[in-house]
Amino acid sequence: MTNHWTDLQNSDVVMINGSNAAENHPISMKWVQAAKEKGAKLMVIDPRFSRSAALADLYVPIRSGTDMAFYGGLYNYIFENELWHDDYVKAHTNASFIVKDTYSFDDGLFSGYNAEKKSYDATQWGYVVAEEVPWDTSPTGAYSWVTKPGTPAFTPLVNKKAKKDPTLQDPMCVFQLMKTHYSRYTPEMVSKVTGIDQDLLLEAYKMYAATGEPGKAGVVMYAMGQTQHSYGSQNCRAMSVMQLLLGNIGIAGGGVDALRGESNVQGSTDMGLLFGNLPGYLNAPTKAHPTLASYIEKETQYAGWWTNRPKYLISMLKEWYGAYATLENNYAYDMMPKNDGTPHSHIHMFEAMEQGKIEGLMLWGQNPAVGGPNCSQERRAMANLKWMVAVDLWETETAIFWKAPGADTAAIDTEVFMLPAACHYEKQGEVANSGRWIQWRYKAVEPPGEAKDDAEIISEIYLKLKEMYEAEGGANPEQLTKLNWDYLDDAGHIDITKIALGINGYVIDPATGGPKGGVGLASFANLQADGTTACGVWIYTGYFTGNYIDPDDPEKKKTIASMDPTKMKAGSRNNADEPLIEGTKPLGLYLGWSWAWPLNRRIIYNRCSCDAKGNPYNEDKVLVKWDGTKWLRNDVPDFGFQAVAADGTVTPTPPEKTLSFMMTNETVAKLFGSGMKEGPFPEHYEPFESPLDNQLSSQQNNPAVTVVESAAKTLGTPDKFPIVMTTFRLTEHWQTGGLTRNLPWLVETMPKMFVEISKDLAEEKGIVSGDNVVIENNRGAITAYAMVTGRIKPLTAGGQTVHQIAAPWHWGYGSTCSVGGMANDLTPNIGDANTHIPEYKTFLVDIRKQEV
Amino acid sequence: MAETAIMYDSSKCTACKGCQVACKQWNQLSSPLTSDEYTYTKSFQAPLDLSPKTWLIINFSEEDKAVGIDWNFMRNSCFHCTEAACEKACPVGAITHAENGAVSINQEKCIGCRYCVASCPFGVPRWDEATNTTFKCWQCQDRTTADRKPACVSTCPTGALQFGDRADMLAAARDRVAELKEAGFTKAEVYGENELGGLHTIVVAQRGLEAHGLIRDPKIGLTDFWQLLKPLGGIAAAGVVGALGFSYFMARDYSRDTMVLDDATGQLVKVTEVKK
Repeated sequence: MTNHWTDLQNSDVVMINGSNAAENHPISMKWVQAAKEKGAKLMVIDPRFSRSAALADLYVPIRSGTDMAFYGGLYNYIFENELWHDDYVKAHTNASFIVKDTYSFDDGLFSGYNAEKKSYDATQWGYVVAEEVPWDTSPTGAYSWVTKPGTPAFTPLVNKKAKKDPTLQDPMCVFQLMKTHYSRYTPEMVSKVTGIDQDLLLEAYKMYAATGEPGKAGVVMYAMGQTQHSYGSQNCRAMSVMQLLLGNIGIAGGGVDALRGESNVQGSTDMGLLFGNLPGYLNAPTKAHPTLASYIEKETQYAGWWTNRPKYLISMLKEWYGAYATLENNYAYDMMPKNDGTPHSHIHMFEAMEQGKIEGLMLWGQNPAVGGPNCSQERRAMANLKWMVAVDLWETETAIFWKAPGADTAAIDTEVFMLPAACHYEKQGEVANSGRWIQWRYKAVEPPGEAKDDAEIISEIYLKLKEMYEAEGGANPEQLTKLNWDYLDDAGHIDITKIALGINGYVIDPATGGPKGGVGLASFANLQADGTTACGVWIYTGYFTGNYIDPDDPEKKKTIASMDPTKMKAGSRNNADEPLIEGTKPLGLYLGWSWAWPLNRRIIYNRCSCDAKGNPYNEDKVLVKWDGTKWLRNDVPDFGFQAVAADGTVTPTPPEKTLSFMMTNETVAKLFGSGMKEGPFPEHYEPFESPLDNQLSSQQNNPAVTVVESAAKTLGTPDKFPIVMTTFRLTEHWQTGGLTRNLPWLVETMPKMFVEISKDLAEEKGIVSGDNVVIENNRGAITAYAMVTGRIKPLTAGGQTVHQIAAPWHWGYGSTCSVGGMANDLTPNIGDANTHIPEYKTFLVDIRKQEV
Repeated sequence: MAETAIMYDSSKCTACKGCQVACKQWNQLSSPLTSDEYTYTKSFQAPLDLSPKTWLIINFSEEDKAVGIDWNFMRNSCFHCTEAACEKACPVGAITHAENGAVSINQEKCIGCRYCVASCPFGVPRWDEATNTTFKCWQCQDRTTADRKPACVSTCPTGALQFGDRADMLAAARDRVAELKEAGFTKAEVYGENELGGLHTIVVAQRGLEAHGLIRDPKIGLTDFWQLLKPLGGIAAAGVVGALGFSYFMARDYSRDTMVLDDATGQLVKVTEVKK
């Protein structure tokens, strides 16, 4: 979320698209309801009428997988009716940037496409460069750190300033290109693609586009309904572009809100658990970065805050490898594995497993036997493993994949180890929520039996591996044996607070190699590229530091040396909601409750809540404002608002010198951008399994997606499988059901696997509620109870009737209390081009009544 | 102690069933342990009905529309009536009003006669064959007397359930209905203000009483009472049942102290006779 949960109450229009917030994020509705009490409108866009839709002022049924067409039509509506937030677009986006004439778009493809490689040459979508400004690395220059002793040598970058047309009239400026691109997305066309009735579509557009008026706030809440498509990343980008056109990012009540599907999924991505990431959203090195210098030169941006990237990488390596990481050995950069350039996502990992390329698998709170795409294939793939370790609270379906229905148990040789884990009440540590709040949670009880804290399990395994490598040697043993593991208590057990301090970062005490003064750094602005600081996750710097008021001088705050989480920012629990700027209204920012990354900013990009001169767009919802001489602040500014000299002299940064989006090279937001695999503007493509041809171009599917072999073999066509299916979650159950199908109180509230079928389709197929039905495609067949309901209805799209059915994916075979068909036996293992998130949310099936 | 009430605002309810589960957890009511013991309900309403082990459920009703549906939710549990039919019907004084208006069954006194089951216009009390006693929501009096909200209220994420002085709850419900009407829900109304002398569960019915399955102007009457008694044959001969009921209505101060502990078995012995 660019804002946070409690900020939802400040919205004027809430769009829930591809999310079922009421069921999957129940507490979010507290704040949506609070907004509604103040007169806000709620719009829910979903193929099926959910419990979120039950609360909506406007429900918009859509053909699954056509969100991009919906957004494209909205842009067109905004342009046609001149509803964009003109001041915001000019001040805070790249609308005025002039694009090179090598950019073009024709019939679904952008310029630079290589059909053989299924990839684009993104340099064709660059800007016209007006001026090249090399980094000033002189002792007084902005980049003097580059030449500091200890900093690895690399070629300093050159800032390429784009040519602009502030009037937005140049035909090659982003704004004009965008207008042209989306002029094809007429209401007639969008209605034809999405199946949304045209009047209803225009009603929705009118409701949401009204938030383009300066001072109005619209928020979009989304989840897997947007992301789990073969163009899921572009859907996310499309929402950002929508919000930028309407001036809805960086303001109170506005934002692009990813509702994270698990309580700490935000934390897991912050920690870089995806194959392409390092902690703090640094990219993992690949074969394109064989040396530290090449990584720095390719990964560091030439402008904006990411110019500091080397500081974060080297500080991370210093935390990972401690004293072993030195300038001479490139701060142990060579110890990091370099990706071979092919994706190693969940899909690709199981594909490799099926091909016998993987021997062992460690699963941590994962249940791919039920949760993976095309999960029967994943269960078959696991049979090729020599060993598997499953760390979980329960015996999941994956832990007993060899007992799955249809499995040839006798032929499976995989050795499986179950390690019982402690649940969250049985261990302490931090959890990051969707609003980036990092909150410390305390241990309430000891874990039962042999169950252990995950960190303790990792530590025990690591220490054993280290011992074995030291005794027996092996390939590149230093990679493990030289790791900094200064996280143990006197008894040799893991001390989570020591890890927290390592994540937070500190100045290295040359004498001890540990944190100087025993305290963490308050800001990542203090991290260095010269090996003098260590920091596990730079965006978290400041969360595990404490302040206290000096009793001798109440004005003076001191940082205390303590490892007590209650005294740390992540443990702070001050629920006062008092605005800091006199005369302004409280906005639910709660700066004293926990700590939000980065630097406790609650609404990021908050410079955009003001015009170019620093005047708030909405005087009732002030985050920051320029009073003529300095910035007044209710939130922590997400921009350099002042400079503090060594002698303590503070110089405020005037509005014209501040950066709206300091994380981009452009230092403004990108309506047009070269960072995505399938083009600079999001474009509509059909899901890989679709009942319709693409109505907008002859390019049927995302041109940048490569399909793995097992998926290509099982793709279905609408002549055999005419019905669109989507999957969803229920408030009563959790993910693959490992947690909830073992709890009778929860099972009772939703005891059986079912599928939602429209009344029309039920009649056509002779199905009534309560019948057992078979749902099948080339990947599998499952049975479920029929739930015939008006909540799902056929749509007319592309001139034909499209039937959609929907089923939860909570059931499996591994519980005594509640078992049922696995919806993911039917989902395709085809991933998005940028992230490889599977296309769980739209695929084709057929359905029939089960013969008794 | 002032009269208190739970307020259920159907317009804020997301039907997450958190209240259902919290009720069972706090009151330690069991659920079946094996898959076979569960049946498919064909609905999001699960379990389908109240039972001795389920004192609160969310009811779901769908009204089909051209686009989507009206999905009407209702909290189905005891209303804690001022004129409580169950209390009037109970021959042994097992059902009583607390000072705050909450109505509860004392299972130590309950004889399993099921008069309350038959008399309740809302069908709330449920008889348990295994223990031959009847159960229902008691508004978590162990919590409310310790200055805590009932379990269902404390778990509600959206503020659809609130607990407080009945007068405050009524005022809040009236305000909410006014807001809803302004927002286009013209049939919105408050339930529980005067029904059966005033209920201690106040409902904001977003789309009107009927849409949420609420009985307009509920009544308890002697005629209905006798009608309902006829099919029952619980503890003894029908005549005894009749006599019990009749005696109750004729002599409300009648002594009904008929439960005795059998020293030999340690069990409570059920009523065996009626004295005038």
